[in-house]
Amino acid sequence: MALNKRVFRMLKGNLWRYLGVLFLIIISSWTYVMVTGLTQNLEHLSTDFAEKHMQEDLYFATDRAILDLNKLEKEANAIIEEYPSLDASLSDSLTLRLLGKTEKINIPAVLEGRNLSAPGEILLDPAFANANGYSVGSQLEAAGKTFTVVGFAALPQYIYPVQGINDLMALPSSFGLGVINHEEFKEIKNADINYSVIFNGNSTSLNQQTVQLRERVQAEGITVSDWIPATSNKRIAIVSTAVSSYEAMSAPLSTAMILLCSLIIGVMTWRMIRRDTVVIGTFYAMGYRKRELMRHYMAVPLMLAFVGGLIGSVLAVPCIAPTIRVVSLSYIMPITDITHSLWSVLVSILMPVTALGLSSYLVIRSVLKRPAAELMKGGKDKSKVGLLERVFKLERFKFGTKFKLREQLRSISRLLFLLLGVTSASALMLFGFMLASSYTEMFKNSTESAYRFEYEYAFKNLQYTEAPEGAEVFNNGRFYPESNEDMEFYIIAIEPGSKFLTLEDVSGNPLSNDRTNITKVLAGRLGIKAGDTVSFINKQDGKKYAFLIDAVADSYVQGIHMPITEFNKMLGYAENSYIGLWSDTKLDIPAGELAGAKTMSEIAASVNEMLKPLITVMAAIILVACVVALIILYLVTSLIIEENRSTISLFKIFGYKRREIKSLVLNSSTYVVLVGFIISIPIMLVSMGALYGYIGSMVNIVLPTIINPLYVFVCFVLIMLTYQLSKLLCARTLNSVSMREALSAGTE
Amino acid sequence: MFLSVSNLTKSYHNGITNQVLKGVDRADSGMVEVDGVQVTGLSDDRLVEYRRHSVGFVFQFYNLVPNLTVAENVEVVSNISKKPLKIDEVLSSVGLSDKKNRFPRELSGGEQQRVSIARAIVKNPKLLLCDEPTGALDFETSQGVLSLVQQVNRDFGTTILMITHNSAIAGMAHAVFKIRSGQVVEVTHNSELVPAERIEW
Repeated sequence: MALNKRVFRMLKGNLWRYLGVLFLIIISSWTYVMVTGLTQNLEHLSTDFAEKHMQEDLYFATDRAILDLNKLEKEANAIIEEYPSLDASLSDSLTLRLLGKTEKINIPAVLEGRNLSAPGEILLDPAFANANGYSVGSQLEAAGKTFTVVGFAALPQYIYPVQGINDLMALPSSFGLGVINHEEFKEIKNADINYSVIFNGNSTSLNQQTVQLRERVQAEGITVSDWIPATSNKRIAIVSTAVSSYEAMSAPLSTAMILLCSLIIGVMTWRMIRRDTVVIGTFYAMGYRKRELMRHYMAVPLMLAFVGGLIGSVLAVPCIAPTIRVVSLSYIMPITDITHSLWSVLVSILMPVTALGLSSYLVIRSVLKRPAAELMKGGKDKSKVGLLERVFKLERFKFGTKFKLREQLRSISRLLFLLLGVTSASALMLFGFMLASSYTEMFKNSTESAYRFEYEYAFKNLQYTEAPEGAEVFNNGRFYPESNEDMEFYIIAIEPGSKFLTLEDVSGNPLSNDRTNITKVLAGRLGIKAGDTVSFINKQDGKKYAFLIDAVADSYVQGIHMPITEFNKMLGYAENSYIGLWSDTKLDIPAGELAGAKTMSEIAASVNEMLKPLITVMAAIILVACVVALIILYLVTSLIIEENRSTISLFKIFGYKRREIKSLVLNSSTYVVLVGFIISIPIMLVSMGALYGYIGSMVNIVLPTIINPLYVFVCFVLIMLTYQLSKLLCARTLNSVSMREALSAGTE
Repeated sequence: MFLSVSNLTKSYHNGITNQVLKGVDRADSGMVEVDGVQVTGLSDDRLVEYRRHSVGFVFQFYNLVPNLTVAENVEVVSNISKKPLKIDEVLSSVGLSDKKNRFPRELSGGEQQRVSIARAIVKNPKLLLCDEPTGALDFETSQGVLSLVQQVNRDFGTTILMITHNSAIAGMAHAVFKIRSGQVVEVTHNSELVPAERIEW
């Protein structure tokens, strides 16, 4: 059919514009299929791992062993397994947590090599082995014994191997896990006693069972130190958190991109069909039916949406498996099988087809419903003066300003499209920069600004001796609000004159360390302000304590800092007791007494290392944002040229020079680009705040909603450069407008 | 001087008006000289200068910018002129002072052509080229426009070259050139000009 040939010519005529839209659809459907594939597989892999390898429901540590475990298991209707552990220092900055191999709960999954079979063998977590150069067959010395690495294993209770439960991130270069046979611990002193629990399903909830179990353990006179349900255990719950945050971050991205495409295609179709009014009128006159013409004009948007969706999906599917492998370097799980969802591929095709189809349909219908006679006369709105043009009194401005303002005010839909487009592209770009800003700020704040010590030593038991010279003592305890048992945080008790902790309030004024300071993030989550008295329950003894909050500190770690003497008195510890030391210099402390040791500079270095992938993500987001901005700006500018062809031609006749016409026509969008960019900043801050809040409600970190002013400037420069590029691309079209167009206007 | 060029076929009409009048097209052969300047030999940049400063245009279909007001349409040209006349004075002379803030769409055909004339004379050009200025107007409106053109010629001393098929207008011009198939077939000089109000067709 002859009309079909026209479809391809329409595509060819605006090839670059349609290719741009196609690119956006591909990105959007790629993101959708990719993230869906990633999240579904991660969920499936972690559930599978948890079920097959008996992941714990609860973990706790005690001061002494439970004597009759069988009786407790029956009473609690649970499986309970005891295992020893010890944090062994391999070097000053390298800690290996040795865990006794379990048989019933948290069964290690061997990823490489083989399982333990003889004494002197060890299974390592692969991230630690990789970061520190251990291979299968190599040897290492820990806790005074030599072990041979026989394999790498994933542990269901350590999917994300953070050392402390509240640590920000896993640092495989300084901490790792090793599984050894139970018997090895007979020769290792000072090992901790830990218990893993799986509750057998019954009618009572998991929370109730947990509370009852704790009461039973405490009734035997045993002191429980750690008590961490799997749901609030970052080492386990991280996967579902990651899945939620991937979904939270990608869903708006994908949807926004599709909506933007619909908008762009809507505008392009509207433009095309408006130019075609005479042709449509003629087709009607020749006997064509409305639905035949509808089919003809719908072909381009539907084809673009279908092909874009299909290419995006086809490109995304092979990327899922490698990405999961990359993710599994951080979240250690066996990758048993990777599934692909046909449904997500279908959605990724149907979504753009529906959205683009709908926007084009509405535009095309508005023209096709007009009578043939009217259509044949051409565009009846040719000289229409916009509402905004009448409303604004522009007489006081210079001619150039007036012309540019009128150009923008002329079509509200075009103005909105440009504004929305620039705002979304800027917001997308700011999103990339903000992600980097937030992470950098959070890690810098917690690792560089607040804590000024170089070494941190945590003891296994309370210490009473005087601290070595130059070192400061600290104590701590884990607390939670009565209403939310899962929301755990540390209260850190410090020396009133501490020089190693420097907190500031939100305005940047230093806060005194002899007062009780809550961090901004925790205060925000609990709704606490300075001057409030709040009660929290100590995880250790289950008792409630009241604290008077003096000030709110500008920190992104959740916690409270208070003077050590007050803390010890309140909890009934000896006045001079402490659990750890901070120091500028290395201290000589026997490894057996320590629960852990940290070096700040190494943590900072690891953090920097871990921020590197974020830069790649940021660059990708910025690139997409630039393309979006370029397409929209190019489209709007060429629309303006298209609508102004006779005016441009007239200006040429009147003797306007090229640069004068360029300035009048091409620069008319500058104000809108500026406004669009400015609007995007608060929009981004508000939506990122909401997004971080949502993620923060699931994990114990709340990312700061800030953006470095330098990044805003860079963003602005990028948007303006994109704008310049779009003008450069359009300048050719502008130059090609002939003076004959105005001369022949109205003569046809 | 009021000159009239008439009896043209459309292609000659376009060719001559575009090339001679506006410096828009290049001539295949021959030479065009305006006020001592050989327009046919000018470079593109010089042609821009020529159109910018030496010549004003009135089109058959007015060619107003639809989203600029009456005053702004005139400003389009005064904006780039060296010594433009005052916009208010020009609008007053074409009788549109009270409609300066209206948009073209809100005006009648005659009024739109008046704006077009105001726009053409605001730069105070040496030569005013009128391309079938009454071609799209009814008789009475045409008379008003022609009267205005005559007034411009009289009051501003602007040379007017009018292209038209309407031989009735010939009486208004000091000289009338009849062209057929690209050749001037007749030149008439009028010693007494007929006022626009008395012209009929």
